[in-house]
Amino acid sequence: MIRHLNKLRWVVLTIVFLMLIALPFIHLYQTYLAAHAYDLLAPAEKQVYDVMEMLTDPFVSDPEHDLDAIKGNTWSGTFFGFRLSDPLAVVSQSAAGLSLYWPFILTGLIPLVLTLLFGRFYCGWICPATFLYELNSNLAILLHKLGLHTGNRHLDLRFKYLVLAIGLILSAVTGAVLTATVYPPAIIGREIYYGVALSGYSHVVIGGFGAGAVFFISTLLFDLFVSRRGFCRYLCPGGALYSLLGHFRLFRIQRVVEDCNDCAKCNAVCEFGLDPLRDGFGMECNNCTACIAVCPTDALKFSVTIKDQAFMGPGHLGKAYKRSQESKVEAVKEQGKQT
Amino acid sequence: MKRRGFLTLAGRSIMVVLAATLPFGFARLMSPNVSADVRWRLRPPGALKDDDAFISACIGCGLCGEVCPPKCIQFYTHEGAKKVNTPYIDPAQKACILCDKCMEVCPTESLTVIPKKEIDMGIAQIDQSACYPWVDQGVCGACVVVCPLGERAIGFDFANFYKPVVRDGCVGCGQCVEVCPHPSLPIWIVERGSGTVAKHGAGKRHQWIR
Repeated sequence: MIRHLNKLRWVVLTIVFLMLIALPFIHLYQTYLAAHAYDLLAPAEKQVYDVMEMLTDPFVSDPEHDLDAIKGNTWSGTFFGFRLSDPLAVVSQSAAGLSLYWPFILTGLIPLVLTLLFGRFYCGWICPATFLYELNSNLAILLHKLGLHTGNRHLDLRFKYLVLAIGLILSAVTGAVLTATVYPPAIIGREIYYGVALSGYSHVVIGGFGAGAVFFISTLLFDLFVSRRGFCRYLCPGGALYSLLGHFRLFRIQRVVEDCNDCAKCNAVCEFGLDPLRDGFGMECNNCTACIAVCPTDALKFSVTIKDQAFMGPGHLGKAYKRSQESKVEAVKEQGKQT
Repeated sequence: MKRRGFLTLAGRSIMVVLAATLPFGFARLMSPNVSADVRWRLRPPGALKDDDAFISACIGCGLCGEVCPPKCIQFYTHEGAKKVNTPYIDPAQKACILCDKCMEVCPTESLTVIPKKEIDMGIAQIDQSACYPWVDQGVCGACVVVCPLGERAIGFDFANFYKPVVRDGCVGCGQCVEVCPHPSLPIWIVERGSGTVAKHGAGKRHQWIR
């Protein structure tokens, strides 16, 4: 059962991403409804109206107001009356304003509790950038097969904490929420909105995609040609915050050494370059369950503990372990002969 | 040798810190501090009066724009330095209808719910040397008709049915700007303290009272 969590994760990621694309169109539809002037819409706008009407009709009776139930993006949004904000948004806004605004801080509470329980789960399960970054690493594999050079450099994992600290310091100094400009999920949520909804003002210079789109594309290129999933692992300020919060997370993936056969497929598949084979999960693990899905002997399981287990030695189904056992047995036999 | 070790360590740590500021510098480079005339850009209703405070409170989530029924709220997408991702309203393109949705949805302090009368996006000001009725070039009154606040915000000059006059109940929503048929836009939203209404005393009194 647990093996299928990775498929569930992809379903969740896809739903979140599709929602981010749908919400700007839903907003357009609502503006057309509010205008009460279907006949005055341009042909393309009529098309948007018709499609959105078809899609939302089964779920709402009064679309102009009922569709307000889900608004926003993963940076901050309302979800059936619940206001949810990214903990990074809360932290960096508090730094930028040098003050605590409790109504806003409370919106970050539910994600914060979930992060304390599940660690970096946001990075693996929800983040709309992860959806594109994982497709991007598949593209890297494809390019590699085609013979192009893709980068897989290793930097220091602690670098992102420095990025987070400097982001907060710069936010406090300049008085603007600067982390929002370099945090991919925030960028994607708002850029999709800009691209879809603001492009109607095409007769002006502004409108359409903004600076964030360029930044995000450059991070994709960084991942392709410098380091696989490098942005998430070494640069992302949000990832840094979640890693810190998830240091004592309750639910973590652990290796069951008795079932492990040392095949190392988990290490190969781990997007974050961790070392499940040698029990090296640490703060970086985002509970994405890709290693669980790939494990041929079901040796990776969720366990409820606040600390990773130490390296348990080679897997008991593996050759190294069997050899060591045989040599032990022989040693015992030899000892028996001698006495 | 010890000093050299210290210097290389210090140099390296400075390099690492500089490298960590690179993403922010990169993002800053792509949103240069050039923008259209800011006079044309009003903050949404209920915004913090001090623009620096507004910028530090706004997290750039875009929620205000996403609930706006007339879609009047737009964003600094790639300009304005630290203003980037903050909302604005350009009343010449599309004006605010004072529906309060953006104030209600904003998660931060930047837009807070306040009564309609206390909204202060600015105050309309009429250029009487260009407005059609004021220069006796015809009858209009579009701004008076469209105003959502009615008599207390804009009305006609004494004993005249066409010449519009702004009163101090105006909250600066900009509906009059959007509707004005004159190509040079003789009606515009200015800061409350600097409008002609303020100069004539009414607006100033209004400010003192608040």
